[in-house]
Amino acid sequence: MHSIFARINNTSALLSSCMMALLAAIALSTLVFTARPEGNVSVASVQVYSGNTRRYATKRQDLAFVDFNITADFAPLFNWNTKQIFLYLQAEYNTTTGIKNEAVIWDRIIRRKEEANVNVIGKNKYNLRDLSTNFKNAPPASYSLKYNIMPYVGALTYGEAARTSEPVAFPPRKTRV
Amino acid sequence: MSNALAELAEGKIDFVGQNLVDQIAKVTLVAGGVISFVAGFALQDLRVTFSLYGAIVVLLALVVLPPWPMYNRHPVKWLPMAAPPS
Repeated sequence: MHSIFARINNTSALLSSCMMALLAAIALSTLVFTARPEGNVSVASVQVYSGNTRRYATKRQDLAFVDFNITADFAPLFNWNTKQIFLYLQAEYNTTTGIKNEAVIWDRIIRRKEEANVNVIGKNKYNLRDLSTNFKNAPPASYSLKYNIMPYVGALTYGEAARTSEPVAFPPRKTRV
Repeated sequence: MSNALAELAEGKIDFVGQNLVDQIAKVTLVAGGVISFVAGFALQDLRVTFSLYGAIVVLLALVVLPPWPMYNRHPVKWLPMAAPPS
């Protein structure tokens, strides 16, 4: 501490240690908040058409179009350490061979408490298609609304806000609208 | 002239002053951290925590870094020069 440089050196070292402790405390403080919001997901209709996607424009495959209705309030999840919340709607079904399929068909990022009240009547943002290119053998799917809390400091946490009460079947394919 | 400039850049303080600086820095940084955390948690705003801590650190730098006269109140008492052995 004999010179200015030595004092800068010492105090900045102590400052970084204190800063690390402060960040750890902030991350741990998130554990105090245990809100588990509940919402509602209902599927209005599912339609399956034969189409193609932009990647391989000549590959015909079944595309499912889902109209859904989501209501949920995520305001309780916003605390001082919440940076943003990532919401996503998943279609889940098991294939006949027992393999679990989970496809995200809609998502949204919420950054502020003011926009945390979600009331969406919409359709899927992303293509819902099966790896076998058809939905002939696909059992009825459950649609679940899940969320991922992204903190400023700390671990990512996940949760499920809502689920369709019964699985929704995929109708037979239609070739034209 | 250059000697005075070099001494200014060095910012030397005596040993008692160094001890004082050490104590001030430790107490301020730890207590400041605790106060900033509590204030931010109470107001549920992370910006409060970091702006408060930033202000505390800037104040600490002003108090601790420059060689203020209060850190030079106990200069080292050197022994008088002994006669060189002949």
